Amino acid sequence: MSLLSRLGDFLDERTGYRKLVEHALDEPIKGGARWAYVFGSALLGAFLTQLVTGIALMTSYAPSDKTAWASVHYITFKQAGGWLVRGMHHFGAQMMVIVLVFHMAQVALFGAYKRPREVTWWIGLGLLSIVLAFALTGYLLPWDQKGYWATRVATNIAGTVPLVGDATQRLMQGGPEYGSLTLTRFYALHVGVLPLSLLGLAAAHVALFRKHGVTPSVKADVSKVDAFFPKQLWKDVVAVMIFVGVVFALAWKEHGAPLDAPADPSSDYPARPEWYFLALFQLLKYFHGPLEIVGTVVLPGVLGLYLFALPLLDKKESNAVRGRALVLIPLALIGIGAVALTAQAKTQDANDAAFQKERAKADMRSGLAISIAMDGVPPEGPLAMMRSFPTIRGPELFEKHCAACHTLGSIGTEKDRTAPKLDGWGTEKWVLDMIHDPDGAERFGRTSYKGEMPSVDVAPAGKTDFKPMSEDDKKAVAAFLASQSDEPGDKIPDGALRKDAARVASGKTIVSTRCTSCHLFEGKGDDIDQGLAPELSGWASTKWVRAQIDNPSSKATYREKALDKDREGHMPRFDAEMKPEDRDLLARWVRATARAPK
Amino acid sequence: MSSESPPPVGRRTITLAVIAGSCAIGAATAIPAAAFVAAPVSGKAGKGVWVKTLKLEQLTDGQPKRVAIVDDRRDAWTIEKNVELGSVWLVKKGNEVVAYSAVCPHLGCSVNVTADGAFACPCHTSAFDAKGKRTAGPSPRDLDALATRIEDGMVAVEFKRFRIGVPEKVET
Repeated sequence: MSLLSRLGDFLDERTGYRKLVEHALDEPIKGGARWAYVFGSALLGAFLTQLVTGIALMTSYAPSDKTAWASVHYITFKQAGGWLVRGMHHFGAQMMVIVLVFHMAQVALFGAYKRPREVTWWIGLGLLSIVLAFALTGYLLPWDQKGYWATRVATNIAGTVPLVGDATQRLMQGGPEYGSLTLTRFYALHVGVLPLSLLGLAAAHVALFRKHGVTPSVKADVSKVDAFFPKQLWKDVVAVMIFVGVVFALAWKEHGAPLDAPADPSSDYPARPEWYFLALFQLLKYFHGPLEIVGTVVLPGVLGLYLFALPLLDKKESNAVRGRALVLIPLALIGIGAVALTAQAKTQDANDAAFQKERAKADMRSGLAISIAMDGVPPEGPLAMMRSFPTIRGPELFEKHCAACHTLGSIGTEKDRTAPKLDGWGTEKWVLDMIHDPDGAERFGRTSYKGEMPSVDVAPAGKTDFKPMSEDDKKAVAAFLASQSDEPGDKIPDGALRKDAARVASGKTIVSTRCTSCHLFEGKGDDIDQGLAPELSGWASTKWVRAQIDNPSSKATYREKALDKDREGHMPRFDAEMKPEDRDLLARWVRATARAPK
Repeated sequence: MSSESPPPVGRRTITLAVIAGSCAIGAATAIPAAAFVAAPVSGKAGKGVWVKTLKLEQLTDGQPKRVAIVDDRRDAWTIEKNVELGSVWLVKKGNEVVAYSAVCPHLGCSVNVTADGAFACPCHTSAFDAKGKRTAGPSPRDLDALATRIEDGMVAVEFKRFRIGVPEKVET
C-alpha cells in the first residue's frame, strides 16, 4: 500500500471524508451534464476570487477619510503587484454581475425556479441583492470622487423612501451627513456582513440545489443520467478557468483599476454609477417632482416583487418556454428595458458637451492628484495635499484675495481691474515698458500711483533740459531688475539681456545710484521715509512678493505712505487675513506664474 | 410547592426553557450591538452656521459665483479647522446677494451654472432658472435658498443642509 493511500485510510477512519467526497462527486445529473449548468459554479469561483483578492487588499487598505484614498493610491501605484490584485478585484466584481445575469436567465428559461425549488430561487434573489450590495459598498471604499458622489446619490435614494427613508439613510451614513462613519460602515458591510451573509446563503442555496437536483432541459433525454464527476465537474472547472482568465486579462490590459481624484465634498462632479447601475440611473431622469419616488423606489420595488412572485405565478407543469411565455415576457421586457436605458444613458452623456467638459476637468484633476501623491500623502489626507499644491492652491488663493483688483492669466476680469496686470511682471520686457511708460493701463494707469513715476525716456511736459536714458542703460536696468527675481533652477531664456553679466552689473550701478532719488535700494534712498517708490533690491522675487502680501507699507517693498488715506485703493495688507503658509504659497505661485513664458 | 417530590419536568418545558435561554443570551449581545449601530440615527440636526465668503465687490451683477464654505468641521472623532464644508452659489443684484445651496435637491449632486446664468445638475438633468426655480428635470423642489448678510464688506451665508429628494425643504 502506498504512503498516500495509507494516509487516506488514516484520515478516513477518523473523519469519514471519503463518503462525503463520493457523495459530492456522484451526484446524479438528470438528463446529462450541460454547459448551461456551469454558471452557479462559475459564481462560486468568482466569489473565491473576490475573497482572495479582497483579503489581500485588506492588508494594505486603511478605511478613513484621510487614509482611504492614499492607501488605494499606494496599492495601485507603489505596492508590487498591487495594481494587479486591485484590478482583478475590480473586474472580478463586474464579471460577477454579468455571470449572475446569465445564471438567472438560465434558471428562468429552464423553469428551475418552480415547485419544489421556490426557496432555492428566493435564496438566489437574496444572493443577488448581496452581490449588488457588495458592488455598491465597494465603489465607495477608495473614497475618490467617483465613488463618493455615486454613493452619495445612492444613499440619498434610500432617503426618499417614505417613512423609513430618513432613518435608513442615517443608518447607512452613520449620521445626518456624509463622513468618516459612512466609510467605516460601508467597510464593515463590505468585508464583514456581506461576505458572511453570502457564505451562509450560498451554502443553503447549494444544499437545496443538491436536494432537488438540476432541472433538465425540456429537450433532454431524462433517462440519461451523468454523475457530477467527471462530466459536469470538468465543464464547471473550465467555466471557472474562463472566468478567472477573463478577469486576469482585463486587469492586465487596463493595468489595474481606475482611481479618481480624492473625494471633495465642496467640488462639483458629474456623478455616474458603475455601468451595471446605469439603467437605474437613467430611470431617475424620467420621473419628475412628486413622481420622483416612482423611479427611485416604486419601479425597482415592483421589479423585486415580480422576481419574488415568479415561482408563484408560474405553476405550469411543463418547462417548455412556449407555454410559459406570459410569465417570462416581463422578464424579457426588463432585460430589454435595462439594455435600452443603459444605451440611452451612454448616448446622452456622449452627446452632452457640458458633461464631457466636466468629465475632462475631473480626469485632469485625477491625473494631477495621482502624480502629486507619488511623493507620498501627508497625514492630513489627500485633500489637504491637493490644497497645498501650488498649481491648484495658487489660482484659488489668487482668485479669492487678489482677483478683485489684479488680473493674472485667466483669473480676474479686465473690466474690474484697478491694479497692475501681473502677466509678465518681473520680466525684462515688463521693466522696459515700465520705465518707458509707467502710467500705461496695464501698469500704474489705473492705480493711485498714476502720475508718481516719471518716464526715463519721455520728457515731462514743459521740461526742456530733459536727457532721455540711453538704450544701453535701459537694457542694463531691465537686465538687473529682472535678475532680482531669478531663483536657482530657473531657466533663463536664450537671448535674455541678463545673460550678459557685465550688463547686469552696470544695471545694478544705475539702479543703486540713479533710481534711489525716489526708490529704496537695499533699504537706502535719498528721500528716506519721504517717498513712495518701492524697494528695488530683490524686486519681484518670492521674498519681495511675500513681503508685499504681508504688508505693503513695511519698507521691504512699498513704504509707510503706501497705506495713507490719500492712496485709497492701494493694495491692503493680508497678514491678518491669510495664513502664513497660504501667503508663502501665493507669493511663490504669483512669481512663477507672472514670469512664465506665454 | 409542597414537600411532595416535584412532578417530572416535561420535554416541552425543557424545550421552552432552552429557547428562552438562547433568546436571552442572543439578546444580551444583539441588543447592545444593535443600539451601537443605530446610535447615529438619533443624531441631532446640524445647526446652520454663518460663514463669511468673499468681498461684495468680487461679485458681478447677475453672474452666479460658486464659493466654498470654509469653517470648522466636526466629523465623528476629528475636528478640522478651516476646511471646505461644501459650496454655495452667490447671485448679486445691486447690493442684495442671494445664496443657493449647491446641493441638488433631487439626489444631492453638485449643481453647475449654465452659460446664461441659470443652474443645471450634471447628474439627472434637473434644471433651475437664475432665481433657483425648478424649470425642468426630476428635482422635487426649487434650489434651496440660504440666508445672507453683509459683514464688513464680506458676504456672509448661513450654511445649512436640507433633506434630499423630498418636496419640502427640511433641515437635516
